Formats: sequence, C-alpha cells, structure tokens
Amino acid sequence: MSHIHYRYLLPALLALTGCASFDIDQSTQKLNQQYPAYTQGKLALASKPEQQKNMQDQAASLLAQPLSQDAAVQLALLNSPALQAMLAQHQAAGASAAQSARITNPLFTFERNRQSGELELGRLLSFGLLDLLSLPQRQTMAQHSLAQAQTQLSLDVIASVSQVRVAWVKAVAAQQSLEYARQVGDAADASAILAERMHKAGNFNSLQAARQLAFKADAMAQLSFARHASLATREELVRLLGLNDEQEKTLKLPERLPDLPATPLAAESMGPQATKNRLDIQLAKQELDAAAARQGLSLVSSFTDIELGIRRDTNFDAAGHGEIKRGVEVSLRLPLFDWGDAQRTAMNANTLGASYRLQATLNNAGSHLRVSYSAYRNMYDIARQYRDEILPLRKRISAENQLRYNGMFISVFELLADSREQINSVLAAINAEQQFWLADAALQAELLGRPSASNLNPVKSTATAEAAH
Amino acid sequence: MSTRRDFFKLASIAGGALAASTVSKVALAALPDAVTQTSPDTMPPLQPKTGRPYNPVVTLNGWTLPWRMNNGVKEFHLVAEPVVREMAPGMKAHLWGYNGQSPGPTIEVVEGDRVRIFVTNRLPEHTSVHWHGQRLPNGMDGVSGLTQPSIQPGKTFVYEFVARRPGTFMYHPHADEMTQMAMGMMGSWVTHPKNKHPQIDDVDRDFIFLLSSYDIEPGAFKPNIMTMTDFNLWTWNSRVFPGIDTLNVRKNDRVRIRVGNLTMTNHPIHIHGHEFTVTGTDGGPVPRTARWPEVTTDIAVGQMRQVEFVADEEGDWSFHCHKSHHTMNAMGHNVPSMIGVDHKEVADKINKLIPAYMTMGDKGMADMGTMEMPLPDNTLPMMTGEGPFGGLEMGGMFSVVKVRKDQKPGDYKDPGWFRHPKGTVAFEYAGPVADAPRQPAQPVDAHAGMKHGTHSAPEVEVQVRKPQAHSRH
Ligand SMILES: [Cu+2]
Repeated sequence: MSHIHYRYLLPALLALTGCASFDIDQSTQKLNQQYPAYTQGKLALASKPEQQKNMQDQAASLLAQPLSQDAAVQLALLNSPALQAMLAQHQAAGASAAQSARITNPLFTFERNRQSGELELGRLLSFGLLDLLSLPQRQTMAQHSLAQAQTQLSLDVIASVSQVRVAWVKAVAAQQSLEYARQVGDAADASAILAERMHKAGNFNSLQAARQLAFKADAMAQLSFARHASLATREELVRLLGLNDEQEKTLKLPERLPDLPATPLAAESMGPQATKNRLDIQLAKQELDAAAARQGLSLVSSFTDIELGIRRDTNFDAAGHGEIKRGVEVSLRLPLFDWGDAQRTAMNANTLGASYRLQATLNNAGSHLRVSYSAYRNMYDIARQYRDEILPLRKRISAENQLRYNGMFISVFELLADSREQINSVLAAINAEQQFWLADAALQAELLGRPSASNLNPVKSTATAEAAH
Repeated sequence: MSTRRDFFKLASIAGGALAASTVSKVALAALPDAVTQTSPDTMPPLQPKTGRPYNPVVTLNGWTLPWRMNNGVKEFHLVAEPVVREMAPGMKAHLWGYNGQSPGPTIEVVEGDRVRIFVTNRLPEHTSVHWHGQRLPNGMDGVSGLTQPSIQPGKTFVYEFVARRPGTFMYHPHADEMTQMAMGMMGSWVTHPKNKHPQIDDVDRDFIFLLSSYDIEPGAFKPNIMTMTDFNLWTWNSRVFPGIDTLNVRKNDRVRIRVGNLTMTNHPIHIHGHEFTVTGTDGGPVPRTARWPEVTTDIAVGQMRQVEFVADEEGDWSFHCHKSHHTMNAMGHNVPSMIGVDHKEVADKINKLIPAYMTMGDKGMADMGTMEMPLPDNTLPMMTGEGPFGGLEMGGMFSVVKVRKDQKPGDYKDPGWFRHPKGTVAFEYAGPVADAPRQPAQPVDAHAGMKHGTHSAPEVEVQVRKPQAHSRH
C-alpha cells in the first residue's frame, strides 16, 4: 500500500464533495417559470433588507387600487410573512438534502507515546471508505431528495396560492351579497313602514301589518348574517395576504366577481395527458426512484462498514533520531451478528410500497380530476343558467309586475315582495358565480395535482311562487 | 258607431256580398251562405226584404244574421267557431262565437215563421244550440244528450221549428255549457209580432244586447273558463266601456231596450234622466196592468228584460249596471286600500329599488283614471274614458243614451257630446261658506240593554281626517 499516492487522495476527495447544493432562489425562479399562472413571476424569498423594502413597495402599490384576483396572489407572494416563512423552511430542508450528499470529513488521529526514552508520534488520517465508495449513489439520492424538495415546494406554493384565490372569491362574493342583502332590507323596511301606516289608517288589520313587519325582521337578520360573512371572509383573505393593521385599512376589493369565461374548459382537455404533469404523481415517482436508489445503496451499507486510514508514524529513539513509518489501515466491521438482511427487507418493502403508492396516486388522480371537472363544468352551467335565463326571467317578472301594479292588479306590497324575490335571485346568482370560481380554482389546483380543500355548496333555488295572487 | 255607408254595406250582406265565408261553398252547396262579420261595431238594422215585414232591432256592437227564404221557410246558417273579439280598442280576446263574432248575430223572425237553422260546428269539441225561451218540439230544444246527439266537430245539424210567440229570446250552447258560455258562445233572438199586438207597442228604436262576463288575466287573451264568480270583465255583447257604443236616439222617440243576462250574477241595469217600464220578459209581454215605472231593473241570471221609455229629455244620459264593480275593467280584487296612507318619502325609498314605482291610491282610486302608465299587454285600464268635462273613470257595463232633437229617424250615428243650454250645467260656487249646523253631541250608553260581562274591548279610536282645502275660506 505504500505505493498509493495518498498525497493526491485528499484533493481528489475534496473535489468530489462539491457537487450537491441547494439554492432557494434558483428554486423559486424555476417555479416562476413553470407556473406563471400561480406565481406571476413574483415568488422569491426576501432575505436581504433592500429586497424586503422593494417587495413592501410593490405591495403598497398593489393595495392602492381595488385588488383583482391576480393582484391578490401577487400581494400574498410579496407580502405574506407566512409564505416567506414557508420558503425559508424549504431552504432549510433543501440544504439538509444537499448535506446528505457530502462525504463525512476525514478523521485525523494523533498519538504520542514515550517508552524508555523512545518517542513515538502516530498520525492517522482515516476516511470512511464506504462513505467514499457509496458517494456516487448518495449523490444520486441527494439529487432525488432535492427534486422531491422542489416538487414539495411547488405543491406548497400552489396550495398557498389556491387558498388566496379561494379566499378572494369568497370575500368578493360576500361583499357583493352584502350589498344586495341591504337592498332586500330596504324593500322589507319600506313594506314595514307602509304596513304600519296602513294599520294606523285603518286599512290593515294587525295580522296583515305583522306579516310585513315579520318580513322586515327576517330581512334584518339576513342582513346581519351577510354583514358578518362579508367581514369574516375579508379577514380570511387579510390573513392569507399577511396584511398588517395599516395595510388592512387600505384593502379595497372589486365590487363584483369576474365575468364567466366565454367558454368553459373542454372535457377533452381533462384526458390522461392532463394528469401527466401532476405534481402528486411526480412526487410519488420521485419517492419510488429514491426508494429504489436507497435500496441499491443498502446492498453495500447493510453488508458492512469499511474504513480506510492513512498512517504516518514517527519513532524517535533515545538519541532523538527519528524514523518514519508510513502505511495504510483498513478496518472492517465483521458481519457476524447482523448480515443486514433485515435492513434489506425493509428497503425492499419501502420500494414496493412506493411503487404501490404511485399506482394509487395515478388512480386517484384520474378520479379526483373527474370530480373536479364535473364540479367546474356544472357550476359553470348553473352560473350561466342564472346569468342567461333566471335573472332575465326575474327581470321580466318584475317588469310585468310593475305593469300589473300600474293597472292596480297588485298592490305595492306585492311589488315590494317581488322586488325582494328578484334580489334573492341575484343573491343566488352571485352564489352560483362564486361556486364556479371556487370550482375553477379547485380544478386548476387539481390539474397540477394539489386537490383543493374548498367545498362547494348547493346553489339555493329561489324560484319561489309568484307573490301576486 | 256605424254610418249610413255601413248600413248600405250591411244591407247587401243579405245577398252574401260581404261574406268572408269560413265554410267551403262546394261542401255546403245546399246550405245558406255562412255570412261572417269582422267588425265589432254596431250595425244598422237589417230591413227585411223577404218574408213577413217587421220593424228590425239594432244589436249593440253587433249585427243581425241575414237569411234566405226557401219554399216559405226562413233559413239561417250559424257557424260555431273560434273568434277574435275586440272587447275595447286595445284589447282583443280569443273567444268562441258564431259567424266571426261573440256574441253571435241576432236572429230576427216574425211570429208564425217556420225557421230552419243550419248549425255547423267548427269548434274543437262538440256543441249544440239551445233556443232559450222558445216553444218548440222537444227534439229541437238543443240539449245534447237529452234531446239530441251533440254536433261533433265538422258536422252540420239542422234545427227547424215555428216561432210561435213574439218576444225576446237568446240562443246558447247546451253542451259543455260552462266552457262554451265562458268562452262567449251566445246570441240574441227576437220574434216580432205578426200583427198588431195589444201588449206590444210600436217603437222608434229597438236595441238589444246580452250581458256576459269573462275572466281574462291582464296580459292574457283567453278567458279562464274555471272562474265561478270572480270575473274581471263585465260586458255588453262582449264589449266593455269604452268599447260599448252609445245608444243614439231622437228626442221623443219611443225606445225599447232588450237585455239578456248570461253571466253568473244579477245586474241592476239603470238609466239616468228617464223612467222606464219593463214591458216584457222572456216569458212574453208584461200585461199593461202589471207594469210599473222604474229607473233600475234587476236582470237575474238567465233572464231577459225588455224596457221601454220615451226619450223626452235631451242630453247624454248614463246607462249602466248599478253594481259599481261592474262598471270597472280588470282590477286586482285582493289589493288593499291605501286611502289615507301618505307615503311620499317611503316612495323615495321604493324608487331606489323599483325606479318606475309611483304612489297611487292614497287619496282614492281616481288617480287610476288620470295616470297614463304602461299596462300589461292586451288589457284595459280599470277605469278610463274622457268626457267633455273630464275623466269618466268607468269601465265594464257602462254606456250613454244620447237623446238629440236633430237626430234623424233611422240614423244611429253618434252625435257627439251634448251641448247644454246656457245655465243648465252644475257650476262652482264662489260665495262664502258658513259652518254647517250640527246636532249637539249627546252622551249615549252604548252598552244599554247589552251585558258584555267582563270582556269589555277597548274602543277603537277612529279618526276621520277631512280634506282641509276649504278651511281657508
Ligand atoms: Cu252588473
């Protein structure tokens, strides 16, 4: 072993170890490119003060106008401390993954023995040989881990952005509904005032008056509920945007939800092709690959543990004359008790499990997508039904009732009741639109493999009997 | 109202010139022409050119069916069919009727005439015709199922009998009667006396019409045949004010008006400015000794009344049913009264939600007559009409008898509004108004003679708010 040019060994090892590293900025940039619809190019971890300042400025300019859905996403990315914390978390996880691809630092041992005038200095530089032998595999594994970390980051970012979108839709819809709940209240209020005067004037009995007052009381209760719903949904958005109290005051939402898209996404575009890029499938694949790679590594590592040492000893005799001994040392753990079979079994099982998980993920992806698309498509149809048929019909009913009022065929109370009904239809239409946009957000997330947690509510029917006799 | 020109046009109907027949002439070669009327206007009397002479009637907003003589038999052809009847300008109803109109044409014959009536059914269901009030062979009475098989769609039946007694009669279906009468199937029948009759006077003008009622939802155009009592259109010959023609007469004319009731309620028919006597019913002429003067006669369901008076007072005299709801057009029957409820500032609130809303009814319903607001399609204002002094605020069973010195005999043209002699129109008083004398208030024991036990309900405080305008005087 004396021929080994150990002089060169160390630099060579050092060169090997520099490969695996994790850079959060590269990761976020990659996401910005891959998912522009989600990140709008704004995903970045702000680690330096000037970076933070810049992002705060951008946030302020976004808050200066009514916040569109896209602007809400941008604002969350620029402003949310929780989102930044998540990115920092990913940086930490990524760095840990990179760490696993590095070689354990060499161990230097120094001995000094004195024996009847003789001095013996022993220097041993030892490396885990297995560490070294398994380095290519570990590097592969580290790549797997990093890829998994990247995928996980994608998933988490998409989930966060989806949450913002959902919250934005709910907040805008609730604010819009509040406006109409006020109108219902106004109509009920007018009925109640009139009814009290009718009662006083002797045209209404107590029962008739009480009925109108009951409408009002009911409308007022609905109004309070709408008021709270509007505040609660807005505050949920505020939290997701990470707004502080000052910023919250400047937050303005648009008056209404966006128009429905002219055409819905076609069912054909939901085919197997759509699931190919799903992140949950990617992640399951990556887990399988990693398990397989880990299994290859375990063949070696489960078997034994080898260490290589480079020794340079110096002996000084009593006269102080030194003599140098050089050599290498190999230590080997003998597989007497543990042949590593249990470990290998575990590894095998992990790989097998990962492969089944992949299969399950593939199956579920298709099913989830079908559900999400069904929700999307049906909510679209319902919302369009409201926009194109129900609301125009309600309008026509109101116009006809106005004519009937003109002809004294119905009273002002029926006219007001009709107006309440018409407004309730508008509320249902807003609800339908909201359901569509929630389903849309869910489908977009679903297509990328992040099932959204938002639940759809049935659109309540308001096709009530006409108030007129 | 029709003109002389119309009269000449109509006179030629007898020859079938105006006939816009809906029945193929080839198929009906053996039948008299089925003459159709397209106008809802009052047609001048149809002077008899054949058969026994008589003094013809004028059907208000209607016409008389021409006939042909066939070997001494008077032959008519009625076609039962769906029709479009203009009930007043701006409103057309899809009804069932005869020969283009509802009601069908008036049939006029003379006592002793042998009459043969061909009835062709162009309805989607079977029908029959009952000759209301006639003496005739049982098998000619027109009750489907009882006296004859019903006339199936597309079929023609023949009725033949002798018009035995003079008087005022009707005809209407007696098959699925509720539907067919609610759809407007009816017509008048007059049998004139053959000779001078001791109980029947000669008259200068002889009008006839039938009362019928319909339930047509505002904005719809077909009657609801299920309605029992809550009708919304009260008609004379399927017309409502302002669609009913005026009855135009010459001063001192002896006028006869014959009215039949085919609605489901009674109608007190009332005339202004004159007294009349009921000279006949569908039972025949009323003996002179049994007649008494009246200004209103109640016509019960299924009855006919024949009233007569001398039109000796010039002017425009109201002539109407005295049930005030029957002088209204379609209206909400469940609309609460808003009288005395001032709601101007509530109106502002309502206007925010319903921009076209206008307050109505807080002072009464007269607003309705003056406001011109858009209504549902194919309906009429509940009250309407402009007279020479302002709004008439009428609808339904309302018309005017116009008595004029210079109305030519036989001329039924509308002479326009009456020109009142100077000083004969009510006018506004301009002098001082003193407080009216009042009965001094006396305490009254409301409970005297009535023991209420312990339940003594608090008295409802009723405040009467009077118009304040004249307190300025
Ligand atoms: Cu009446």
